[in-house]
Formats: sequence, C-alpha cells, structure tokens
Amino acid sequence: MAISGIGGNVSPLLQSVLTIDKQLQDLQRQLGTGQKSDTYSGLGSQSSVAVGLGAQLDATASYDNTISIVGTTIDLAQTVLSQVAKSGSALKSSAAQAPFDPDNSGVTTVQRTAQGALDTVLAELNTQGTNGYLFSGSGLNQQSVDTSSHILNGNGSQAGLIQVIAERRQADLGSGLGRLVISAPTPTSVAVSEDVAGSPFGFKLAGVSSSLTGATVTGPAGSPSSISVDLGPGNPNAGDSLTYKFSLPDGSSETLTLQATNSTTPGPGQFTIGATSVVTAANLNAAITTGVGQLAQTSLSAASAMAAGNDFFGNPPQRVAGPPFATATAQVAGTAANTVFWYTGQNGPQPARSTAVARIDPSIVVSYGLRANEQGVRAIVQNAAVLAATSYAASNPNAPASYIALNQRADIALAVPPGVQSIQNIEEDLASAKAAMSDATGRHRQTNLTLTNMLQQIEGVSNDQVAAQLLSLQTTLSASLSTTARLAQTSLLNYLAPVAG
Amino acid sequence: MSLIQALATSLSGLNATQTSLAVVAGNVASAQTPGYVDRTAVQVATTTGDSESVRIASINRLLDQFVQQQLRTETSGGAYADLRAGFFQQLQQVYGQPGSDSRLDAVFNKFTTAVQALATSPSSTSAQGATINAAQALAQQLNSATASIQALRTRADQGIAGDVQQVNEALKQIATINEKLAGDNTNDGAAAALADQRDQAIDQLAKLMDIHVVPGSGNQVSVFTGSGTSLVTGNQAAQLAFTSSGNIAATQQWNAKPSKSTLGTVTLQFPDGSSTDLVANKAIRSGEIAAYLDMRDNVLVQAQSQIDEFAAQMSRALSDTTTPGSAAAVGPQSGFDVDIGGVLPGNSIHITYTDAGNVAHNLTIIRCDDPTALPLSNSVTPDPTDTVVGVNFTGGPASVVAQLTAALGATGLQFSNPAGTTLRVLNDVANTITVNNASTTTTATSLTAGGPALPLFLDGAAPFTGAITGAGPESTGFAGRITVNSALLANPTALVAYQPSTPIGDSTRPNFIYNQLVNASPLYSPATGIGGATAPFQGTLSAYLGAVVSAQGQAATTAQNLQSGQDIVVNALKTRFDETAGVNIDTELSHLLTLQNAYGANARVMTTVKQMLDTLLQL
Repeated sequence: MAISGIGGNVSPLLQSVLTIDKQLQDLQRQLGTGQKSDTYSGLGSQSSVAVGLGAQLDATASYDNTISIVGTTIDLAQTVLSQVAKSGSALKSSAAQAPFDPDNSGVTTVQRTAQGALDTVLAELNTQGTNGYLFSGSGLNQQSVDTSSHILNGNGSQAGLIQVIAERRQADLGSGLGRLVISAPTPTSVAVSEDVAGSPFGFKLAGVSSSLTGATVTGPAGSPSSISVDLGPGNPNAGDSLTYKFSLPDGSSETLTLQATNSTTPGPGQFTIGATSVVTAANLNAAITTGVGQLAQTSLSAASAMAAGNDFFGNPPQRVAGPPFATATAQVAGTAANTVFWYTGQNGPQPARSTAVARIDPSIVVSYGLRANEQGVRAIVQNAAVLAATSYAASNPNAPASYIALNQRADIALAVPPGVQSIQNIEEDLASAKAAMSDATGRHRQTNLTLTNMLQQIEGVSNDQVAAQLLSLQTTLSASLSTTARLAQTSLLNYLAPVAG
Repeated sequence: MSLIQALATSLSGLNATQTSLAVVAGNVASAQTPGYVDRTAVQVATTTGDSESVRIASINRLLDQFVQQQLRTETSGGAYADLRAGFFQQLQQVYGQPGSDSRLDAVFNKFTTAVQALATSPSSTSAQGATINAAQALAQQLNSATASIQALRTRADQGIAGDVQQVNEALKQIATINEKLAGDNTNDGAAAALADQRDQAIDQLAKLMDIHVVPGSGNQVSVFTGSGTSLVTGNQAAQLAFTSSGNIAATQQWNAKPSKSTLGTVTLQFPDGSSTDLVANKAIRSGEIAAYLDMRDNVLVQAQSQIDEFAAQMSRALSDTTTPGSAAAVGPQSGFDVDIGGVLPGNSIHITYTDAGNVAHNLTIIRCDDPTALPLSNSVTPDPTDTVVGVNFTGGPASVVAQLTAALGATGLQFSNPAGTTLRVLNDVANTITVNNASTTTTATSLTAGGPALPLFLDGAAPFTGAITGAGPESTGFAGRITVNSALLANPTALVAYQPSTPIGDSTRPNFIYNQLVNASPLYSPATGIGGATAPFQGTLSAYLGAVVSAQGQAATTAQNLQSGQDIVVNALKTRFDETAGVNIDTELSHLLTLQNAYGANARVMTTVKQMLDTLLQL
C-alpha cells in the first residue's frame, strides 16, 4: 500500500526502503525454509505443475510401499512353497525305494515318512503373512487347511480320508472280484462281465487277446461290458495263452494272463487242459476267478486308495453312495456335515493368483494370491495323506504286493506329468511377480529422482542465489538509508545562522 | 503628506508583516498535520486619498485541484486493489503451503495412498483404519477450507458495514462544512481550516468508494458517486444503509432480487426519503466497499464453488453407478428399458438418440422433486451437448411418463411404463429416429448395495446425490458439510465387504475406490471458473485440484500486481500533490527572512519618522 509520512507527505524514499525491507524478509524466509514461496500464488504459473508433481510423487511412494508389503508376502510364500516341494520330493524318493517293513501296528517306514511329510506340509500351508493366511485365496482370515488328524481320521460326524478309502475299497472290491462277474454261459465258454453298466467302481474291461487254438473270443462288448471266451469243441494247446486287460479306478491298468498247461498242478497264471473243452473251460473259469481275486486284493486295492484320495481331496469331496458300499454304483458329493473339507480357505471361480492383486505401477498389476488346493500343492498333500492313511496287516499274504502297488502309484503321481500344474509352476508365477516388482522399483527410483528435481526447481530455492540476492539488497538498503538521512539533513533550517541576540 | 501619514503607513506594514508571519508560523507548525494545505497571505496595497497603506486581503490555500481530483480517483482504485490483494493472500492459506503436509492436494494424495495400501492389504485392520482416518482428514480439510472461506466472506460483510458507517460520517461532515462555509465569501484562516477538514473527509470517502467531486460557488462542493448519483448537495447529505448478516454460510448469497437474496445489500437513502440499491445498480465500482462486495459475492463464492465441486465429484465418483438399460422392442419400434426404481433426487437417466436428420442428441433426465426448481436449465450439468429435463418423481412412474411425454414428445421419442418401475423409451413407429442408448446413474445409499460403489462420504448424515431444489443445487456448501459415513467408522470392514459374503481378502472395492479417485475423469461445472461453458474442464480429481490451486494462485498474483501498480500511481500523484500543497520548510524559512527584513524596514521607517519628529520638536 501507499506509505504516507507522519504528516501525510509521501516519502518515495521511505517507500522504497520499506519495499527492500520486505524483500529482505522474504529472502530470509526462503533461506530458512528452502521454499520459494509459502503460498501457491508465489509459485506463479507453475503452481498446477507443482500440484501434479506432488500427486505423482505421492503415488510413486505408495506404489513402493505396496511393493515392499507384497514383496514380504511373496518371500514368505516362496519359502513355504520350497519347503512343501522339498517334502514332496523326499516322499517320492522314499516311496520309490522303501522295503515292506510293517511294525506291529502295520505301519511301514514309508508311511511314517508320509505322515511326517503331511504334518510338515499342512503346517507350512497354514503360514500367516502380514495380512493373514497365505494359502486361503482371498479368505485371509480363514485357516488354509485342516489338521492332519482331522484329514485322516475325521472330525466327529465328518468322515476323514481313512473312512473314505475304506468305503471306496468296499465299493471297488465288491464281493472280492473287483465288481466283475465270472460266469459260464455255455459249458465250453467263460464270460467276464462288469456288474453294472456305468458304475465308476471296480475293474473295467479294457481288452482281451488270445492265442488259444480253436477258441472264439468276443468283446469287450455289451452293456454292461462283457468278454466271452468260447473254447469250442476242441482243447487249446499247451502254451496257448489268454490275456485280459483291465482299467483300474486310478487310471492305471493291469493285465491278467492265463496259460494253458498239461500239468495237473497248474502254477499261478496257468490252467490245466482237461479231457474235454468243457473241463478245460471249468479250469479256466477257476483260474480267472483266482487271478482276478488276487489282482483285486493288490493292484485294485492300491488303485482304489489312490482314487479315494482323489475323491477326498476334490472340491467338493466325492463319497460312495451308500451304505451298502459293496454294491454301490454311484458317487455323491460330500457335505460339510458328513465329510472333512481339507481346504478351509476361500474358493471361487476366479484363478487363485487373482485373489490377491496389487498395483505396483500406474499400469502394472501383479497377482500373487495362493490357494492350498491348487493342483501343484494338492498333489503333494493328497499323496502324502493316501500313503499315511493305509495300513497293512503283516498276516495278510497280499500285503507286500498291495504295498508295492500303492508305492509305485504314489511315486508316479508325485512326478507331475507335463500339462498339469506343478508346485514349480506356482513358484515361477511368484518369481515373475517379484521380477516385475523389482523392475518397477528401479523405474520408480528414476522417476522419483526426476520428479523431485523438477519439484525442487519449482518450489525450492538455490541457497547461492538467495545469498547473492540478500547481499545485493543489503547494499541497496544501506545506500538508500544513508541517502535518506542525508536528504533529511539538507534543510535550510540547518544552515541559517542562529538569530543574534 | 505628512510624517504622521508615514507613521500610519509603516504601522500598516508592521501589521501586515505580523499577519504574514503568523501564516508562516502556522505553516511551519502544521507541516506534519495530516490534510493541512500550505497557506499564503495575500497582501494588497490600499490608497486613501494620497495615503498609502497595506493590508492582508486573504489567506489562500495552495493546491492543484486537478491533481487533487486525480489523486482521489486513484485513491479509490488503490484502496480497492489493496483490499483485494489482502483477501487473495488470505484465501491462499486455504490451499496450504507448497511442500507442506497440510496442503489440500497433499491431504487428498494421502487418502489415495491409504486406499492403495488398502487394496494391497484388504484384510488389514490397520490399513482399513488408515483409510478411514485419511478420508476423515480430507473431509475435515474441506470443512475447514469452507469455514475459512466463509469467515473471509463474513469479514468482508462486516467490512462493508464498517465502511458504510464511515461513509455516512464523512458525508454528514461534508454537508455540515458546506453549510458553515455557505454565504461566507471571506477567505480567512478559519475558512481555510474548514476547507482542509472537508477535503480530508472527501479523501476518506474516496478511499471507501469511487466519488466525483464538483466544486461550486461560494466555497461549496457537491459529491457524486462515480456513476453519477448525488451524495452531497449543499448541506444535504444522502446516507448509505447496510445490514450485516453476522456469520455467513456458504448457502447465503446475494441476489439482485431482494426475495432471493440472503445477504445484505447497500442502499442509498436520499434526504427526500427515496432510496436506491447501489449493489444491484453497480453504482459502487471502486474503493474498499467495491472490493468487499467483489470478495463477498464473487471471488469467495467462486472459491467455495470450486472446493464444493471437488467434494461433490469425489463423493459421486465413489457412490454413483451407471447401469445400462436393456434393449426393448414393441412391433416395429425399438428402444430401451431402464429401471428408475433406484433413481434418487439428483440422479439421472441418460438417453442418446439420432433424429431424422441423422443428428445425435444427448438427453439428461434429472429427478428433481421440488416444483419451484423446475424447469431445469441445460447448464445444471457441465456437459455442453446435453439437453436437461427435470422430472418430478413424486407422482410415480405414470406421472414421470406424462411429464417426459409433455417435455420430449416433439422429439418423436415415446415413453411408457410397461410394468413396475421400468421406464421404456422407444423410437417412433416409422423408425425415422433411433434410440442409441439409455442408462441410469444412481447413488448407492447402503454400504452393501451389491456393487463396489459405496456412500463413503455423506452430506451431513444423508447420501450426497446432487439434488436440485429451489434453493439451489445440493453441492453448494457441500465441502463444508462433507463427512465420512458414520456406518464406516463403526464398521471399517465395509471398505472391503461389498456383499455380506465378500471374503476379507477381496480387493474389489478398494481397487474400485482407488481407480475412481485416481483415474475417473468427470466434467466439472464451468460455474467454478475452471474451464469454459462450451469446453468444460475434464480431468482427474488431482488434475482439477491442480487447476483450482493454479487459478487461485494466478488470481492472487494478478491482484498483487494490480496493487503494486496502483501503489506507484498513488504515490506519484501524492508526491505531485504535495509539491504544491505540502509545507516546504525551506520556503517558509526564506519567507521568514523576507518578513523579518520587511518588519525591520518598517520599524526603521518609524524610527526615522520619530527622529524627524524629535528634530522638529527640538526646533
């Protein structure tokens, strides 16, 4: 504002002195705070740029914060996954080599290993990160998996894996012949049929091949599927053989080969050529019954346990429709009331990875959600649990063969076939998320530096410049002050001689 | 001619010199008195017969009336510029200090940062709490910005009241002095002192408002407003009247129509009892009062509307959902069905259609239940291309259809209500027009309305829908009333759980909030002064804040520059005025020397006459 002297007289010099004083004060403030202005108007036309830069800087800082939080979570998850993978491969090598050595409660070394692996893996899967359970999808407050005791033995009215395996075993074995019916439609023929068409249980007829001289082989055909071998009027020659091929519930297959022999005491897999083809057919019938019965006790039992594992660890778990189980022909979905659900986290249609997403850049989103029931993790839990759930009575003559059949199957199942998600695939997903974050961090550092420099140029001051301005203003001020003082002294009053008197 | 004659002549010389000496003494003594104008005594020689004598004819004030008038005009401008610059500087405080954490844009950035952290850790109670706190901090910042702006308006209002009082006193004083000086044509010291006082009153008046002074005969002056309305004629002074409104709220606004105005206006009461509204007639164009009025009714109202618009757009970005209509066809006609069940006052239905001339049209149908606000102007939406139709929904769907048919039947669009709350819009039977699209925009009023949109911010305790009433749009003063939904304070998990079954780690809603805050790019009302009516400002909330801060910064800088320029002009004129009217001690002292000599000379004449008389007597 315009400055007036005491008497209302304008003093232009006084005005300029005050202006300089004000500038000095502002420069002092700039030197003290390092800020060009304490209002946006002082930044001039660049104030909106300053606002924009501020927003960008804050956003970058928040992305970096996100990266650090997500990075911690991913590190933790990677540790868990490598631990789980280690347990899985230890179990695989154990299953491949271990001898049959049941202790007095029927538990073998492999099973003890499997039990240990199951406990470890389940505990690992229940790891909590900063935000909650790592392997529960978006249900971060839900424990990821149930305890091994519940999973194996059940929980109250909820059935565990052991019960599911037992029920499935009854359904698969039926009366002992793996749900096959062996009959003699004519005196010279033997027919092997599935008991019910479309039943998921027991042996399935996959094929037959024969070198029996004079015999007519038909099938597998019909519904339910059936294979019929008619020896005809003549006998086969010794050394001729008949081979049945069966599919098992876990997708594996077995063959049963029967060889004609003239010996009256046929060995395993042989049948005696009788006086007539009618007698031979009866012998063949008996040999098939023995062979199938033995396969049912060994391979089918193992395959049934594997299939039961697959049923139990599915979502929802599949149960045999029964009781009675031995004659069951269908499966039903288990409910929370009657079956333990091993995975207790969040389920949903969206892929596991997208249950946790984080924006680490204006345009980049990383997905790092995990569920314990992803195939790669589930395969390890499932096979460990199946191995741990079976027990063998030392008195059972079929136990060693059954044991080997199961171990072989677990060994194969633990080696992930191509095209199926393995635990390594999950680790790769997380690793690529980490790589994206590390790239983003580098970019952010660069951006931050540039933006901070720009903002400093707009909002900040150069100390050298301010000091130079201060110095020059100081000079101007002292010059102005001394001029003002001198001007004030040049009044006629000071030069009139005092009145003589 | 005698010796006695000479004695008498030198005596008159002594007397005149003494009077002149008194004037010089007065000048020296009053050199620093405000408003004092340098005086000079005018001596005249008189002759009676053959005797000569001298006397003081008058005491004149030395001033340049042209410069004085110029100075007064510029004083008005200077006071106007000073006051505005001061207000703009105070308004700058609302936007905070660059680089500080409390600046408006930093508080907004903190909120988006907190939401981003929440999107990363939806289940974390601390992230939820931090988001709520940041939202509250933002709401409080907007509240306090509103309080600051309205406090400035209150100050301006009180400033007007104070100024009006000063104007009235000055006017009265001018009239009183006019009366005292009337008919007195002598120019003595007393008259000069009165004239000084009157000039001071006029100068004071010039600071408060722009005036025009016309000197009349017989030491009289008349004072007019800059626009020519008489304020003082002779001893008659008009008086201003103004009623201060106490604490002003954002919704209180001056209007030229007294029935709509909720703030005081300045009226001029003439001595004959008539009156005129000086604000409505724009009669006050400069001076402090004009600056106060500009602040109270324009600058600060716009500053408020800018942050109101920010609050409104932010709130609606989070709470509003646009639902596309479903295609409908009846016979040859085709169009869309939209559900208007959730349309609240302020919510809208958008229809785009192409007319027979293949010209595309935008229709915005806004629910507006206050009949006094209808019909709505096209400018209630920032979109310059749309036609706005306000519809009262209180009569149910049938009434809505009737109102739409009445308003839009001429376009060929056919509205109907096939069932429930469904509104069907179809083209004409001949298919000369095409309905391209129809959608509704509705405000979520519950935290678990189904979608990720949520009423995170409320207008007091009610959802903000942007309803328009006769009193104006809901957004006016919204920044002062915005609060964080209290249901969220009680239950922060609702920031994540948009449905009862939402898993705690689901980041859908935090991502939605973040995306809306950072990427939503709405159109902003041109009434805020940001962007024009034909090309409104469109951008993210952050970009809009930047534009607001920048516009206000520019305005403050401009006001400051105007002030500096005006100061220079006023100072230059004051210097020029004082060159004539000010007391120059050097001049006065040289006068003193001259007078001392003259006095000595006259005394010498008398001594000589005495000696001659003595000589004569001793003869």
